[in-house]
Amino acid sequence: MTSQPIDEPIRVVDRRPVEWLPYLLSLPALLVCIGILIPFVTALYYSALRFRLNLPALKGFIWFGNYINLLYDAEFWNTVSISLRYTALTVGVELVFGLIIALLLQRQTRLNNLISVLLLLPLMTAPAIASLMWKLMTNPNFGILSYLVSLAGVSDFGWASSPSTALFTVVLVDVWVYTPFMMVLLLAGLRSLPQQPFEAAALDGVPRLFVFFRITLPMLSPYIITASLFRLLDAIQQFDIVYAMTQGGPGNTLLVFQVRAYLEFYQYTNVGKSAALLVVLWMITYVLSHFFIKNWLRLRERSHASA
Amino acid sequence: MTDRIKALFDAYAAGRVSRRDLMRGAAHLGVTAATANVLLGSSLVEAMAADYDWQAQKGTAIKLLLNKHPYADAMIADIENFKKLTGIDVSYDVFPEDVYFDKVTAALSSKSDQYDAFMTGAYMTWTYGPAGWVVDLNEYIKDPKKTNPSFAWDDVLPGLRASTAWNGVPGGELGSADAKQWCIPWGYELNNLAYNRTMFDKAKVSVPKNLGELKETAAKLTKDLGGPYGIGVRGSRSWATIHPGFLSGYANFGEKDLTVNGGKLKAAMNSTGSKAFHQQWVDMIRESGPKNWSTYTWYQVGADLGAGASAMIFDADILGYFENGGDNKEKGNLGYAPFAANPAAKAPTPNVWIWSLAMSSFSKKKDAAWKFMQWATSLEHDLFGARKMDFVNPVRASVWKDSEFRDRIAKSYPGYLEQHDVSAPGAKIYFTAQPLFFDVTTQWAETLQKMVAKEVQVSEGLDQLAASIDKQLREAGLG
Amino acid sequence: MERSSIIERVLRAVLLTLIVIFFLFPIVWILLMSFQTNEQILRIPPSLSFVPTLENYKALISGHLLTSAGSLDIAFMRNLGNSVLLSTCAVVLALILGVPAAYAFARFKFWLSEDIAFTLLSFRFAPPLLVLLPLSLYFQDLGLVDTYVGLIWVYQLIALPLILWIVRGYFEDISPDIENAYRIAGHSWLRTFFKIAVPLAGPGIAAAGLLSFIFCWNNFVFALVLASADKQPVTVGALAFVTASGIQYGQVAAAIVLSVTPTLLLALYAQRWLVEGLSLGAVKG
Repeated sequence: MTSQPIDEPIRVVDRRPVEWLPYLLSLPALLVCIGILIPFVTALYYSALRFRLNLPALKGFIWFGNYINLLYDAEFWNTVSISLRYTALTVGVELVFGLIIALLLQRQTRLNNLISVLLLLPLMTAPAIASLMWKLMTNPNFGILSYLVSLAGVSDFGWASSPSTALFTVVLVDVWVYTPFMMVLLLAGLRSLPQQPFEAAALDGVPRLFVFFRITLPMLSPYIITASLFRLLDAIQQFDIVYAMTQGGPGNTLLVFQVRAYLEFYQYTNVGKSAALLVVLWMITYVLSHFFIKNWLRLRERSHASA
Repeated sequence: MTDRIKALFDAYAAGRVSRRDLMRGAAHLGVTAATANVLLGSSLVEAMAADYDWQAQKGTAIKLLLNKHPYADAMIADIENFKKLTGIDVSYDVFPEDVYFDKVTAALSSKSDQYDAFMTGAYMTWTYGPAGWVVDLNEYIKDPKKTNPSFAWDDVLPGLRASTAWNGVPGGELGSADAKQWCIPWGYELNNLAYNRTMFDKAKVSVPKNLGELKETAAKLTKDLGGPYGIGVRGSRSWATIHPGFLSGYANFGEKDLTVNGGKLKAAMNSTGSKAFHQQWVDMIRESGPKNWSTYTWYQVGADLGAGASAMIFDADILGYFENGGDNKEKGNLGYAPFAANPAAKAPTPNVWIWSLAMSSFSKKKDAAWKFMQWATSLEHDLFGARKMDFVNPVRASVWKDSEFRDRIAKSYPGYLEQHDVSAPGAKIYFTAQPLFFDVTTQWAETLQKMVAKEVQVSEGLDQLAASIDKQLREAGLG
Repeated sequence: MERSSIIERVLRAVLLTLIVIFFLFPIVWILLMSFQTNEQILRIPPSLSFVPTLENYKALISGHLLTSAGSLDIAFMRNLGNSVLLSTCAVVLALILGVPAAYAFARFKFWLSEDIAFTLLSFRFAPPLLVLLPLSLYFQDLGLVDTYVGLIWVYQLIALPLILWIVRGYFEDISPDIENAYRIAGHSWLRTFFKIAVPLAGPGIAAAGLLSFIFCWNNFVFALVLASADKQPVTVGALAFVTASGIQYGQVAAAIVLSVTPTLLLALYAQRWLVEGLSLGAVKG
């Protein structure tokens, strides 16, 4: 090897791979995804049709008819309002809880590490199964939570079965499952913050609350935004927990976007309306995900720069 | 030889009745052992030489989609006989009711050929039929080559035959001359009162005769019993809340869901009569209904009656039937009564739910599937189910005349036969057949929930409901 | 680091205890329930003293349940098997497809590369029903109804974006100089990829693979819409089982325990990788 002239192999081996290589490498993944894009395009097409499976004779192109009908449909606005309330509540509560837990676990002690591992468990539980767990615990006949609540003097707390407490109950399950996600991201963020500002503040005797609001929060904010956007994107599309818990009931209390679209499709076989609902949801998530990805890339670059 | 004796022996010959049952059945019909054997022999020969070839699809395999239900249980208990009779192999998927119809829609809308036949109700065929997912069974019933001559289609109660046949025209009359037979009735339920006799005695009330009395009796029961509530009815946001007691009482006042005028449909729930009925119904639930009424499906309504948490239900008669057996707390305490909500009405007008069998258009084994459907809805299987299993209510007139079945019911279910016999003539589907059935009834249930929760006044709520339904009918080109 | 007062330490301990109780109690409680008979479960007030029974698990594993409505045959173990098969195959396929693509996106700037990468990631955030419902209308025409292949294909929607983006981050972190040096030494591109790039990104690939396995396992809506009865995974099966079994609560609890055990064990075993994967490589510095 050493006997050869040093510049010889460099010329022989072309260091730049052939032009088609990146395409070849990403093509299989793309093909699989394009297959999945086709139903997406058909969904867009269906959303412009008057299309009920049980009224085949009526099938026809109506441009934005389904969307316009949605605008005048009180039920649609009810769905928008529930989805937004669900999203705001879950993301808000999870952010506050996640931040508190992350702050409590910030120091790398053995106990703290053990706790942070244990707290991963709810996140690894399937949301649909988690709903079943909470359903058992809130059963009016033997559920432990119903019993505990009755000890506190509330005799018939309805949990998921009463319109006034159903939203609370599904939010509770969502918080149980997803708070650890916030915790993981924020904890990683906290632990990666540079130490100098904190040490300087401690030397100067700056009050802790002041440090938290003036140093910790601003430095942590990219992580907070990334984590919140990520949860926002998931929460606005919530299906599993609501479906497994109540199938959207009682009444129309929990008819969030995807649950309503599911019912429109299967119970009323109204493919056009169902598709229109989902396209509206997709547009919302598309905008949100744009923000998210931009934010996330910036965060990555930052952590690379600091590395 | 009477038809009944002959049918019994034919059933044995076809392997649908065990030898012991045959002998018992024969003895019951007054046939001695000696003649029985003779008859049996002839019957066996007759069956083999019959005009109908049960074995024509021997070796094929069909798959069924079933709801978890006593009817399905009874059928599965007897399925080996079908396999022996026809040489057709049968497999099935069973789903619980709250996901069952989504599964059916999923299988049919994807044009899947997985399932050859499935359980359904008549309302669902108002979607499946126009969508082209189910076969018009007249093609089979009316074809002597395809159907066993002793299938005796006319033996099925006429109201049920009509209720499962529709011409596909929105608002078209059920059972009209041009109607297509979308499914075959299998078992059915009508809606009347089932009540706890012990509790009625304790509170010293008699069985209510009309809606006013029902409301008062329920209120008195709730007040006097100190614990159980007076009247159980369904309340979930679903078509299933509208179709049992509620619609039966509603129809008794001559009220309609929709009116049909020159082929155009129009909502009719906001008439004066309808508003008065709704007001009474809503007040009754508020005063003496279950606490979590808005989540109540048939399951909770029945469970409460069986567990002694409610004193009476206005729901499916067979629900009261099942709660009187098993290991229910109130087992043996229940009684049954026909109920005409309108004091001016001569007889009850129960809306019916008919569990039926339908054939998938996408099946590749339609002839074998039809063999199964004939067998499962045959007189013999109906009789077997009614006598031995809890296959109530049978759909065949001759089973209702069977003394073994009648004796069994009369002994353990006081008033059951009477409520059925009194109301059967008026028992049929009182809904207007149209593809937006589920849209209309779901919204109707939702409006009821809002009224009970006092979110809206009855009159105002019904006006809004009617306006909303009219709009949807117009959008769908029906109004 | 800093001294803290006793009050603060007590407060901290109390808070942490409450947090641990809130997040772990449901799991512990269901686990306990799964070893109780129905009578024990229905006791009021609930009690912790009971003789554990294995009947619930026996019934599930044998597939024969006794319920109030008679006996019921269920294929719960088959659902569990389906979950294993579907999740494993989906992740293996996603790795085969995703790792080379991730490498391409990390190493080369090519025509539309950023747009394609964004599109792939945005799949992760599109409403799944938007794709699933229309797809269900012609799943039969594609010959995919009642097949594992069809489900494994649509599971790529879960696994592939995750793998692409986590693994891409890892490849970007590895300096191309190492690969170049290896290639200068006369090795082919393919050999470089397998001998240098993939091993160096190993932890990322493992994290992405594990995480996608768990997400596939936990998925509900894909199978709810597209899986036939024979092929449905445990998430859908457990829900159907709950309503079918009526009031056999001990068996429901046992079913829940069986369906979450694999992911929980995996989480405990590989928690460090999971944490890295969860933060999508965003926060490692």
